[in-house]
This record gives sequence, C-alpha cells and structure tokens, in this order.
Amino acid sequence: MNRDKNTIVTHLNKKDKTMTSLQENEFEQLAAELRYVVTDMICRSGSGHLGGALSLVEILLTLYYRVMKIDPNNPQWTERDRLVLSKGHAAPILYAVLAYRGFFPKSQLGTLNADGTKLPSHADARTVPGIDMTTGSLGQGLSAASGMALAAKKDGRTNNVFCIIGDGETNEGQNWEAALFAPHQKLDNLIAVTDYNKLQIDGFTTDILDLEPLTDKWRAFGWNVLEMFGHDQNDIRRTFLHAKSLRNGKPTMIIAHTIKAYGNKIIENTAGSHNIKIPDKKTHEQHLAALPDGAFPLPY
Amino acid sequence: MNLKNLYEQEIRFVYGQVMNELIEKNPNVFCLEADLSKASGTNPIVLNEHPKNFINIGVAEANMIGVAAGLTADGKIPFCATFCCFATRRVYDQITISVAYANNNVKIIGTGPGITQGANGGTHMCFQDIAIMRAMPNMQVFTPCDAYETRSVLHYMAENYGGMYMQLLRQQLPAVFDESYQFQPGKARKLRDGNHVTLVSSGYMTHFALKAADELAKEGIGVDLLHCPSIKPFPEDDLIESVRKTNAAATVENQNIIGGLGGAVCETLSERYPVRVKRLGVPDRFGEIATEEYLFEKHGFGTEHIKQSCRELAR
Repeated sequence: MNRDKNTIVTHLNKKDKTMTSLQENEFEQLAAELRYVVTDMICRSGSGHLGGALSLVEILLTLYYRVMKIDPNNPQWTERDRLVLSKGHAAPILYAVLAYRGFFPKSQLGTLNADGTKLPSHADARTVPGIDMTTGSLGQGLSAASGMALAAKKDGRTNNVFCIIGDGETNEGQNWEAALFAPHQKLDNLIAVTDYNKLQIDGFTTDILDLEPLTDKWRAFGWNVLEMFGHDQNDIRRTFLHAKSLRNGKPTMIIAHTIKAYGNKIIENTAGSHNIKIPDKKTHEQHLAALPDGAFPLPY
Repeated sequence: MNLKNLYEQEIRFVYGQVMNELIEKNPNVFCLEADLSKASGTNPIVLNEHPKNFINIGVAEANMIGVAAGLTADGKIPFCATFCCFATRRVYDQITISVAYANNNVKIIGTGPGITQGANGGTHMCFQDIAIMRAMPNMQVFTPCDAYETRSVLHYMAENYGGMYMQLLRQQLPAVFDESYQFQPGKARKLRDGNHVTLVSSGYMTHFALKAADELAKEGIGVDLLHCPSIKPFPEDDLIESVRKTNAAATVENQNIIGGLGGAVCETLSERYPVRVKRLGVPDRFGEIATEEYLFEKHGFGTEHIKQSCRELAR
C-alpha cells in the first residue's frame, strides 16, 4: 500500500458539513448497535443474507458518516456522492445505515421483507430514499456506477461514485467489461470496493473460483488499487480519503479484507452465513446473543 | 433534416440523423454503441456532429446496458444500439433488472431484425426479440416499417419516460407514410380497408402485406390491413374493431410465430373476440444463411403465402 500522508491530512482537515463528527468510540458503539439491529431485522423476517451484511458494517458507516458528500434531507441532491451496492443482497445493512443517518425513519427498519414492504431483500432505489441504484442480479452494479461517473464527467460535476462489489460477484464477466471501460473513460471519480470476505455461497472463493492474484488483476486493467482491513475504522477512513485524493485519471479499486458475518460467533467466517434461515424464536435469540456487545434497544 | 429525402436512403442513416436531431433538441440524449456504430448508422453521422454525446462501449453489450442505466440516474436519455440478437437475448437479465425492474429510462435499439440480417446467417438472425421483450413488465416494444415511422417512434422514445425497445430496419425501403406521420403507442394503422379478412402486419413484413392486399383486391378479396408498429402496448381495440367486421385474421411478422405479433393477436382475440387466426412468420426454427426468397419459401411467409392464407380465411 502506498499512501501519501500529507494528502490524507489535508482531507481530514477540510470541513464538510455533509459529514458527521463521529468520534472513534461513538463509531464503535454505532457499529455494534447496527450489527444488533441488522441481525434482528433479518432474523425477524425469517431468513436473509446476514453474512455479507455484517462484513460491510464498518465500511458503510465510514462512507455515510465520514466520507460521502450527502444530504439526508435531499436524497436526490445533484452534487451528492453516489453509492451503488452491486452486491444488492447486503441491502439490509445499507437500509439500516441510511435510516440511522436520517434518510428515512428508523421505525421502518422492522418491515424488512414483510408483505408490501418498501425495504425488500435486495437494494431498491424505487422505494428507499438514499439508494442510488436498484441491484440484485450480480455483476451489474459496476457498470451502472461507471455510467453515473461518466454522467458526472459529462456534466462537469466533481462528485464521487462509490460501488461495492462482492468477491463471489466478481466471478461475473460483466465486472470485467466495466473494468476495461472505466479506465478507458478515465473515470477517476469512481471508487469501487471489493468486499473480500473470501467466501461465496458454495464455499471459499479459492475453492469455487479463485480470484487471486486479485490486486494484480485490477492493476493490470488500469485501476489504482488500495487494500484495507474492512473492520478497522481508521484504516477504512484513511484508505477512502486517500482514494478520494487520487484523481489521477484512473478509477480506484479498494480491496477490503473482511470477515463474513463478522461479530456473530455462531456463523462467522462460514459459507453458511450467506443466507441464514431462522425457523423459530430460539434461533433468532441465539443469533442476537452471538454478538459480542450485548443488546441494544430496537428502533421499531 | 431534409425530410423529403428520408425515404431515399438507408434507414440506418435516418437513425443517425434523427439522433443528431434529438441531441440538438435535448443535450441529455446519448448515443451508445457496442462496436457496431457504422452498422447502426451513427458513425460518422453522430460521432462527427456530437462527439460528446457518442459513447462507444466496445464489444461489451452487458456493460452498455449497465452504463446506460447509470447514465439515467442523472437524467440522461441513452439510446443503446446493436444487432437485435445482442441488444436483447444476450443481455436479457441486464435489461430486466437494471432497466425494466429498476424503471430506468433506457432506450434499446435492435438493428437488422429477423431475416434482414442476411449474410450474417443463423447466429445473428434473431426471431425472438419481440417475444422476449414483450414478456417484460415496464418495457414498451416498437417495430416501425419505414423511415418516417422510425423517425416518429424515436422522437416518442426520447420524449417519454421508460424502458423501450425498437427494432431498426437498416436498409432503404419504400415509404409507407409521409412527413405528416405521428406515431401513437398502442394504436394500429389501417393501411387498406376491406371486409373479408383482417391482415395484421408489423415492421418489415408490412411491405409484403401491402403488396398482398393490393393483389388480393384485384381478385375481389377485401383485406382490412392493420400495421402494428406498437407491439406493446398492443392495439387491442383496433384489432377487435376490424375482426368484428371480417371474422378472421392472419398475422405476418419477421419473427418466430411464437409470442410476438401473432401471439399478441391470438391472446387478444381468444380472450375478447374468438375468431379463426392464421399466424405467418418463422415456424419455431432458427435462421440460416440464405436469400430472402429462399427463407420466405422455406418458412412460408412471403407475399404468396400471405395471399393464400387470406384467401382461405376469407372464404
């Protein structure tokens, strides 16, 4: 990893009213609370993609509280930064972060996957304020994010477009079409993240379809490549600020080393955590109890 | 644009010129290509005039649909053009999720429909694009027959929100309409008036249906000829009105007879006004490299076959 410390400091000092001044201990508390809430959201709906949601808690919190230029009161603000959650099945944690950030009432979070819900299992821009692109079929988000980044360039806007793809999702060929396209169009306002938790539905990525050497691949396609530990708030913040500062004519791919179902001692780092089934109240309670930081009041 | 010259050139060049017209009217209109821009008629016509609005994605149709979906998030109106087979069946899931399900304002142009792929042969002859695009919610499906209608459909697509698919005939064809033509979604065009049999045609086959209807008129058979540029929404009421008079309908399309125009006619009539229907088109076969005459003869949907079916239904 090659980080320019001076650039990072400059960015940290810049005041931006669209970001919050979340302290380190507050961040830890909020991360713990969101882990609890998203676990409950998924468990009460009977099933869901808990593993991939828990691997993104710190990354999404950092983006929406410390990195992205957004206005929760104006989700369609033209100058805002965009985020495409290409691994759309992790939507529950994005919904939770958006609600806590003020895009919509937290009380709605309890309706995940319920009949008639506006919060479906996969990210839905049609019904959820703050979601910038509807996703759910893997491999399509990086193309859409490239389109958004291209639109910003065409319009002369300076906003960034963030995109989160899964490691299993990286198997899809369309990603590599977009991987060629974004550098060709010099989309240096595009910052992608690979949630590299090393697991996909059927097992470890090294056993199903190995991605390695992953950083070399993206670099060979003409991207800036950074790496971070996706559960360390300071590493995440530094890496995103570095990525924002690059603007060197190339898009940036951040390989985020994460742990699937991070924090849930029952299913952590297992392929089975991808989509868990909650047949009864007891299993629901076991998953809540498996989290390390105790219980939190539910907002619904 | 010199409208008088519209029918005196290949329709792909009309597409290029109409794209320029649309971009000049609304700079949010974008022309996306997947390395077939000369075949689509936008290179050099759009590339030279409006390079900022011309994006060549490369041979990557899935990415083209995705990039287009992303562009719409900021109010752009992307038109994505490539051969029908690549514009639809190759990227069916991308269109389904990133365009139709997400309700993004992407316009898809399939060029060289059906047998007009000619020398590209069976791999490129797409006979199912109308059927599969029709089966998608949030998707409108159009198949114009001449330069004037193509131009009017393109204006409609640019000016109205939603996912839309249009088949673009690339070659030069005689004018069926004139400068005054105004496309209306969900409406058929009555091209000939007759009492004996309803003939429903679309796109390329309308040219053959016209010929058949005129020749049958000389035999004393009155053909009520409905041209359907709008497959979805489908002009159900126009069809019912016609068959109330004729009590029989033939359909002819440059597609598989399953699920396209013939399918739409059968669905409508079986539910609302059951009469006998004969579907002409490709009878559930793949394409092959051959002359148009050979393919019409093999699959039974040329002018003579249209006439024969109409005669039988008119009895």
